[in-house]
Amino acid sequence: MSDVIEIEELFKAYGSLPVLQGLSLRVRAGEVYGLLGPNGAGKSTLIHLMMGFLRPNQGRLRLFGSTRLERMRARIGYIPERQRYHTRYNAREYLRFLGQFSGLTGAALHERVERELIAVGLRDAAERSLGTYSKGMLQRLGVAQALLCDPDLLLIDEPTSGLDPAGQREVIELLASVRERGHTVFLCTHYLQEVEVLCDRVGVLAGGRIAAEAHTRELREVASSVRISVSPLGAEVQAQIAALGPGVRCEERSVRLSPNSAALQAAVLQALLDARVAIIALEPLESPLERLYREAVHETLPSPGEAHGLPAALWDLPLPGEQSPPTPADGRRGEGDTLLNELLGRNDRDQDPGERTPGA
Amino acid sequence: MRLLRFTGFTLLEYLRSGRIVIEIVALLAVFFIFLRRPMNAQYFFSVLGVFTPALTLYTMAAFIGLGDRPQGYVLLARGVGRGTFLLGLFFGACTIVAGAYGLLSLATAGLNRPVDLGFGDWLLGTLPLLLNISLLAALLLMLSPLVFPTGWRLVVLGLIALAFSSNFIGGTLLVALPDAVRSVLRALQALLGGPLVPAFYGFQLAVTRDYSTPTAIANILAQASLLVSLLGLSIYAFARRDLIFSNQ
Repeated sequence: MSDVIEIEELFKAYGSLPVLQGLSLRVRAGEVYGLLGPNGAGKSTLIHLMMGFLRPNQGRLRLFGSTRLERMRARIGYIPERQRYHTRYNAREYLRFLGQFSGLTGAALHERVERELIAVGLRDAAERSLGTYSKGMLQRLGVAQALLCDPDLLLIDEPTSGLDPAGQREVIELLASVRERGHTVFLCTHYLQEVEVLCDRVGVLAGGRIAAEAHTRELREVASSVRISVSPLGAEVQAQIAALGPGVRCEERSVRLSPNSAALQAAVLQALLDARVAIIALEPLESPLERLYREAVHETLPSPGEAHGLPAALWDLPLPGEQSPPTPADGRRGEGDTLLNELLGRNDRDQDPGERTPGA
Repeated sequence: MRLLRFTGFTLLEYLRSGRIVIEIVALLAVFFIFLRRPMNAQYFFSVLGVFTPALTLYTMAAFIGLGDRPQGYVLLARGVGRGTFLLGLFFGACTIVAGAYGLLSLATAGLNRPVDLGFGDWLLGTLPLLLNISLLAALLLMLSPLVFPTGWRLVVLGLIALAFSSNFIGGTLLVALPDAVRSVLRALQALLGGPLVPAFYGFQLAVTRDYSTPTAIANILAQASLLVSLLGLSIYAFARRDLIFSNQ
């Protein structure tokens, strides 16, 4: 399979602020590639470079084997991060204009516009001004305009950014249906769930480079730690389950497997079923993708603790769901530690220094 | 064809945005205040020679505002090239101002026709006037944040200020300067003031409509050349810069 996107040693800086620092990446035809990264990592910058809106300082960027990116636009569908469209138009006339700009005319234009309006569920609202659309509707319009000319490559920038949970789910379902059409898709996001649901391969952008890369099917195989919620366990059953392995921790209403494996998980579930215990839920505490992301970002970025003048040791506290190692002082970390760590983790996402980068 | 479609798209958005109300009010004001009295052709072109550039300032600024928004990414992601994008804004603004000029001319012709102004004469006065409108629009476009980054805009504004400075630094200040500085300043003023000549002479030509000398034709050509140069420079600069729209 040929490469649709080929990027080698790409550098981009805004003035003296480096954003991409030697990024290399390849995406094959028909592949759905997810690029994860914290805010300000340079995901949007990369998409803007691919669209030819920005010019790289150094490095090579090829789309469909060509470095003349502006000439490749006819083969690209682009969904921008923010749902900013020309609100003085209604959806139908807006799509008609965009189709005309792409060279569509007559019956073909009419047919494509109607097809996409139906596909994204906006046909009934097609005569309404875009100024009256909700964010979710605007994002659906974004999908429609991107698919209008049957592009070979879809570049999607933060598709669910700023949407409420229902809107997020709606857009993810829509993109999942787009996936079925067989386009090559390059999706930038900082939501792990989107990547898990939609992508074949995932890369983590941190420190201006691809810090980690993996196939999502490998990551989906088994979660590194899981919690099985069950009906109340008797002491005897608890002891029996705990004896199945060193990573098994039993409580009255849950069993925790960490580290988890397919064999251990199967053995524990079988034991629970044999003991006629009702299994209420099985949920990953930290998915392999989450771990991949955390480790890649953790290795390449300065700790938020350091950034805020806090002791580096605080940064090494476990994330929520991760088992806390015992400390000499009190034998275990308290809930406050986890909360503090959660807050620090949030700092990492919310206050990354690159966040204020224009276009990033 | 795409340029035509994009200009239409921009114009339609401008009309729907309601900004056109300002032009309509200004148009009515100029007509009722200045063009209802008995007048000759010279007076008519003098009034419109001042009004249309003023209107161009407002209209072009509004069109630049329409263009300099993140919405532009969606358009540029399609077949609308950067040159087409810039020219669409330019032609959109010029169409509005030229339309306003046309309406005023029509109203004047119908309600208060200048005694010495025939259709041929009107055409002769209109040509340099419309070229001046276009020149101003092109200059404003070049000075917009779309085309040049802030530093370069300041440089261009500085050069324009220097070109105009002969009116302000012509007397005692110039005498007080050392000879060498004075010579350099005069040379710069002459050099930079050169491109302003066609615009000023164009205004005079619209008022007098005197095409009896070759200078008049040469000036029309100079206005057109300057217009093409300004637009060419803007497109060149816009095509080569990182595209980061304002208000992202």
